[in-house]
Amino acid sequence: MSPLPKRILIANRGEIAVRIARTAREMGIDPVGVFASGDSGAFHRRAMSQSLDLGPGPAYLDSGRILEAARAAGADAIHPGYGFLSENAAFARAVTAAGLLWIGPSPDSIEKMGGKLAARARMREAGVPVVPGSDGSPGEADSGAELARRAAQMGFPVLVKASSGGGGKGMVRVDRIEDLAEALSETRRVAEAAFGGGRVYFEKLFERPRHVEVQVFGDSLGHIVHLFERDCSVQRRHQKVVEETPSPALDDRLREAMGRAAVEAARAVEYVGAGTVEFLLDERGSFHFLEMNTRLQVEHPITEETLGIELVRAQIEIAAGAALPRAWQDGSLSPRGHAIELRLYAEDPFEFLPRTGRILAWEEPSGPGIRVDAGVGTGSVVGVDYDPLLAKLVVSASSREAAIARARRAVSEWIVLGVETNGRLLAAVLDSAAFQSGKYATDLIASLDRPREGEPPDAAWIAAASALEAPEPASETGTGTSRGPEDPWQVRSGWRPGA
Amino acid sequence: MAARRVKIELEGGRGEQPVSQDGTAGRAVRDVRVGATDAVLDGRLVPARVLREEGAVTAVEIEGVSIPVRTARERNRVFVWCGGRTYEFHKAEAASSRAVRHSAHAGGLLSPMPGRVRKLLVAEGDAVVRGQILLVLEAMKMEHAIRSPRDGRVGSLPFQEGDLVEAGVPVAEILE
Repeated sequence: MSPLPKRILIANRGEIAVRIARTAREMGIDPVGVFASGDSGAFHRRAMSQSLDLGPGPAYLDSGRILEAARAAGADAIHPGYGFLSENAAFARAVTAAGLLWIGPSPDSIEKMGGKLAARARMREAGVPVVPGSDGSPGEADSGAELARRAAQMGFPVLVKASSGGGGKGMVRVDRIEDLAEALSETRRVAEAAFGGGRVYFEKLFERPRHVEVQVFGDSLGHIVHLFERDCSVQRRHQKVVEETPSPALDDRLREAMGRAAVEAARAVEYVGAGTVEFLLDERGSFHFLEMNTRLQVEHPITEETLGIELVRAQIEIAAGAALPRAWQDGSLSPRGHAIELRLYAEDPFEFLPRTGRILAWEEPSGPGIRVDAGVGTGSVVGVDYDPLLAKLVVSASSREAAIARARRAVSEWIVLGVETNGRLLAAVLDSAAFQSGKYATDLIASLDRPREGEPPDAAWIAAASALEAPEPASETGTGTSRGPEDPWQVRSGWRPGA
Repeated sequence: MAARRVKIELEGGRGEQPVSQDGTAGRAVRDVRVGATDAVLDGRLVPARVLREEGAVTAVEIEGVSIPVRTARERNRVFVWCGGRTYEFHKAEAASSRAVRHSAHAGGLLSPMPGRVRKLLVAEGDAVVRGQILLVLEAMKMEHAIRSPRDGRVGSLPFQEGDLVEAGVPVAEILE
């Protein structure tokens, strides 16, 4: 194994940048941050030993400026986090070409899993079951008879997708064979505009699937293991909201089979580092490969908590050439208890529309079994340019029942004033009979009854009146939560490439 | 008691028993006075004391029972955490100023969320049909299309591509 890096540039923002910086510090590695000029007050800068100004615009996507910043800071490694450049093979190549350590899978692995169609074909070859569907071959859309035959074979509804799409964009549901050709050409137009083209195909649409993914890890010596599953079925607009492990939907036999399939999937692309293989689990209990995320996953902490391991530490060590820990390979690792992650988003809890503003007060839940990975704090400004994820609450307990009780307790302790969050949605999910029974699917949130608003208690009206009747304080925010003009994160001078 | 009266409204207020007086039907509005040892809510006397630490409200004691609260104020808005939930209130406007504010928006389409104008698909003066996409807002990686509510002609378009837009402001005007 080569020596560990000494200074890692973290090419990200928000909670994941903070989370990576924490592990780096614990390993004696210097965390260096970056920020866009318009994001100079960003919370993640506090976690870094220094942070560099990338300049204006969508800077977190600017590989050239990030590489320049790495050089200027004397970093010897780059961790991309998730999102932004994390699954950009060209960036991974450029990092390596610049003589820096890339903390992620090889660019080849990223590319092989990047196109959904190519990944599906590769998985079929590797013997991994994929969601039934068309192969998107050129000319497929022209052959109406062939399409109709395949779709009829599978049965409707189907989901038309762009191979280059993601995050719920570029997907159209089709219920009738007559609408298929039109949906294919429509999706092709959308893909052209949004993702620069690419092929279009369709998959069988499962009405009430579960979304279960398997964490995998490979090292440069060719070992590949799985680190059990995460159930990510609680979603809104195709985005995950609550995740848990172990999945209440798996028995040992299914868990074993999915773990094996995930390892085969990773082996097919000679995977090194942390990755996640996503499956759809249909109502009959069959699982189908959906895609592989070639990066650290947002919901990785629940795996860390139930296995007592540290995925970011392992990413860094394995990027430096270390072998997978022995305990990961010899089958002695097994989950203890239960963990649930709840994502706190800046959005209306039931309409899911974004919310912005300044966080006037932020008090996190704490106590036994509570971990909060936050990307904001009191005084943080939540704007429109970045992901609405404010923080992740991760609870662990000895049983699923105890974890749910703990999560409800923690959500009610969480004080966020100034920006509306989805806190009430999180409480409603935890309170729902479907979630508590463990028998739920991706339609859980859509089928929730919207909780009654209820009148605020007298104490809330009185507190509100008391706060409002006082003369308005000189500072912008209310008493007890003000943040003076001498905010160090606002005035700290930054470095700018080329300046 | 010498306290001032404050008329406050619950934001997004869909209270179960909304107060209906001077044009506030359907909204949760309360007339509140807070004194040293009691408060009056819409004429109802509640023995209550507001507890503060270093100026910040930390609890409200009602009939001897102390209920933890947190508040944060921003101009005429105040956010309150109480009983595990968060509420937003603001000073209630007089009915007349509310009406004026709403009529100013009569011809316009309001933005449903804060965001950035990602695409402007029409120009002032263009003829449009009902359901046609006029512009696309983007916030936090989510796109939201603003569609014309009827056939007509585009009046004013106050924003350009790349502009920041707040929630609830007019983003397009459709003339008959």
